[in-house]
Amino acid sequence: MKKFAMFILMSGLVLPFMFLSVTLQAQMKVENNLDTVKQKVSTLNDKVAGVEERLATAEADLAKLTKIKLSGYIQAQWINYEASNVYPNNYFMIRRARIKFTYEPINGIVFVLQPDFQPGNITIKDVYVQANDPWLKTFSLFVGKFNRPDYEVEYSSSNREVPERSRVIRAIYPDERAIGAKLEIAPPTVPIKVQIAIFNGNDGIAINNPVYNYGSGKWDKNAVVGQNIDFDNFKDLMARVTYAFKFGKWGGLTIGTHGYYGQIKANSLDVLNSDYSYSKTLANVGKGVRKNWVGFEAQFYADVLGGLTLKGEYIFGVNSTPGYNGSASFVTQTSSINSTKDTLSLLTLTTKTINNAPAISRNFSGWYVYLIKNIGKRNQVAVRYDYYNPNTKLSADQIGTNKWDAKIPINIDPAQYTSFAGTNPVIATGIQNKTITTNKLVSGVDDIPYGTWTFSYSYYFTDNIKFMVAYEMPMNKKVGIVDAKGNGNVISSPFTVNNVTSTYDYSNQIKQNMLTLRMQVKF
Amino acid sequence: MKSSKKLALIAGIVLVAVIGFAFMPAPKKITVKGSDTMVILAQKWAEIYMKSNPDVAIQVTGGGSGTGISALINGSTDICNSSRPLKSSEMDKLKERYSSLGVEIPCAKDGITIFLNEGNAVSELSIKQLGAIFSGKIRNWKEVGGPDAEIRLYGRENSSGTYVFFQEKVVKGDYAANCQTLPGTAAVVNAVSKDKNGIGYGGAAYAQGVKHCKVKKDDKSRAFLATAETIAKGEYPITRYLYMYMRNRPTGDVKKYVDWILSSEGQKVVNEVGYFPVK
Repeated sequence: MKKFAMFILMSGLVLPFMFLSVTLQAQMKVENNLDTVKQKVSTLNDKVAGVEERLATAEADLAKLTKIKLSGYIQAQWINYEASNVYPNNYFMIRRARIKFTYEPINGIVFVLQPDFQPGNITIKDVYVQANDPWLKTFSLFVGKFNRPDYEVEYSSSNREVPERSRVIRAIYPDERAIGAKLEIAPPTVPIKVQIAIFNGNDGIAINNPVYNYGSGKWDKNAVVGQNIDFDNFKDLMARVTYAFKFGKWGGLTIGTHGYYGQIKANSLDVLNSDYSYSKTLANVGKGVRKNWVGFEAQFYADVLGGLTLKGEYIFGVNSTPGYNGSASFVTQTSSINSTKDTLSLLTLTTKTINNAPAISRNFSGWYVYLIKNIGKRNQVAVRYDYYNPNTKLSADQIGTNKWDAKIPINIDPAQYTSFAGTNPVIATGIQNKTITTNKLVSGVDDIPYGTWTFSYSYYFTDNIKFMVAYEMPMNKKVGIVDAKGNGNVISSPFTVNNVTSTYDYSNQIKQNMLTLRMQVKF
Repeated sequence: MKSSKKLALIAGIVLVAVIGFAFMPAPKKITVKGSDTMVILAQKWAEIYMKSNPDVAIQVTGGGSGTGISALINGSTDICNSSRPLKSSEMDKLKERYSSLGVEIPCAKDGITIFLNEGNAVSELSIKQLGAIFSGKIRNWKEVGGPDAEIRLYGRENSSGTYVFFQEKVVKGDYAANCQTLPGTAAVVNAVSKDKNGIGYGGAAYAQGVKHCKVKKDDKSRAFLATAETIAKGEYPITRYLYMYMRNRPTGDVKKYVDWILSSEGQKVVNEVGYFPVK
């Protein structure tokens, strides 16, 4: 009993200590665990903060990247020409391989760069800065190289329903783009758009002898100047206004007009009228010749079992081609030999011919009409007829006949010769210099009107991939005068295909039809 | 000559075949994509319509008005829901791709509501003040009669029609850089409900758990809450139409569905979801 009481007493004394010890141990363990958890939480916090910081940096970098946009398209095609002056007359080609880089560092300021990649060649098509007004959202200023303001010019090849632009547009707006500045006014609440632009004006135009090349000592013939540099001090103004009407769910109509007011350096003293009659003599070759025209456009959209578009444009005015001061060509020949007694006289004639061409201002007109029908989401058929008369002042029989041919003899030096008397050998020289300037321009191939039918079908495999089959039928007007043998007087430059040289006689209709099979990828 | 006749015959047959395929009856599936603001409304419409038309399947997705319009242009949706009108650049894309201006059908009216945290002392703001707040010119609540606390901004992503509409009508410039963009009005409402210094905007149909802010046209005008009455009367200053867009005039099942949406039955749903009917 006593032992039991002692056991209880001891237990009563020891157990609390034991309990206390266990509790203390547990508490210490919990505290240790808490410390560990705290440490872990702290570590995790640091890690999360680090991740957040990295995320913020990544987001900032990503935000910068979203300001850069890439778009572009590739057009690969097979072409079959029915023209006899082309060889090979069927081939695959890359028509377009373009990537458009758009960078908008701040809202409303856009930088655009669009190179075109061709096998062995890279050219810059668009390069401009666009500043949009942030307040009225109405005004945009473009500076750089960009499309001229015209409906068909600004309508991208990637969207066009037929393979190429109309002949008149290709003639008056070669290369589509020009270097200059443009103001666009497009109020968000009114469906009107006004474009006013100023350009160098000679972009894409081939000019004979535009510059003297001091390196080669010759005039650079047929150089294309003005792709990226100006040729003269004249600047060309363009303006275009369009207004869009909507007819509710039935469709809409956009009408517009554009005008071109400019000059190009004549590059010659003589200027001809459109009918090749003489117009005037300029004070110097730096004077300008006119490039003035106006155009009217309309695009009608209707919903007739799917989308239907009827659109067209008519342009007329005066377009001038610069002349050139040609390089001299020398002909040296011994004209006569005279022997008297022991004196031998050699008369050497040196003829120097300078070929000049006058500038000419041609009255032209051109138009095109498209009929486009979308069938379902994927199919589109289009028909276009376009007509271009590069010289409205010449009738068909005047082409090849009307010409300006002024031969101006100048600088005939008095005959000079020097005689030497002697026995053997006898040397004598005599030189006569004569300079003739031929200044001529003959109507011909450049004045022939063309009408072209184009039929095309496009299939949109997806929104990015389009297949197109198109058939173009350019038809020249039969021009010139046919002689008794049946030969016309308007012929092309000779062309040689497989060693056979021929020409086109434009008193006939020349077969120049073309089949195009195209695949386009757009992104 | 013979070969050209053959070519013409083949071309004719291909054309007829193409037209035939194009007008073949399409399966009864309608896809609807676009505005997040309208997604609840569009889902409700689809749900009710499919009950009474079990042979029609309607698939509704959001993503924002811009996303919907892109889908309309690239042909991946039949109907685009948009809380803003088409931009001229978007209409140009429709012209180029489909020879069409698109068909615009206003199907509901909405007031852009300003959401405040329920604990916020501010109860009304003018359009000018809202513009200054969301452009970052006003940064503290005390500048508009509230406590001395930094204003935290919540808005929509730039693909949203609500983002564009609010920017054009209220902000009239760039949003402040610290405006947190969120995917959908519901997310904006949720963020503001948890942030006592937060302010956001969005469609009225989403406003639960937050305080609506009265809005006045200018300092001298009376402030209004976005309600059916004030929006119908044109008193609430930030109102807009909600649109459906199609590439062409609707036909077949799409037409039936659109007609139903515009019917009194469809417009009743507009009220139920918290927007305002157009008829």
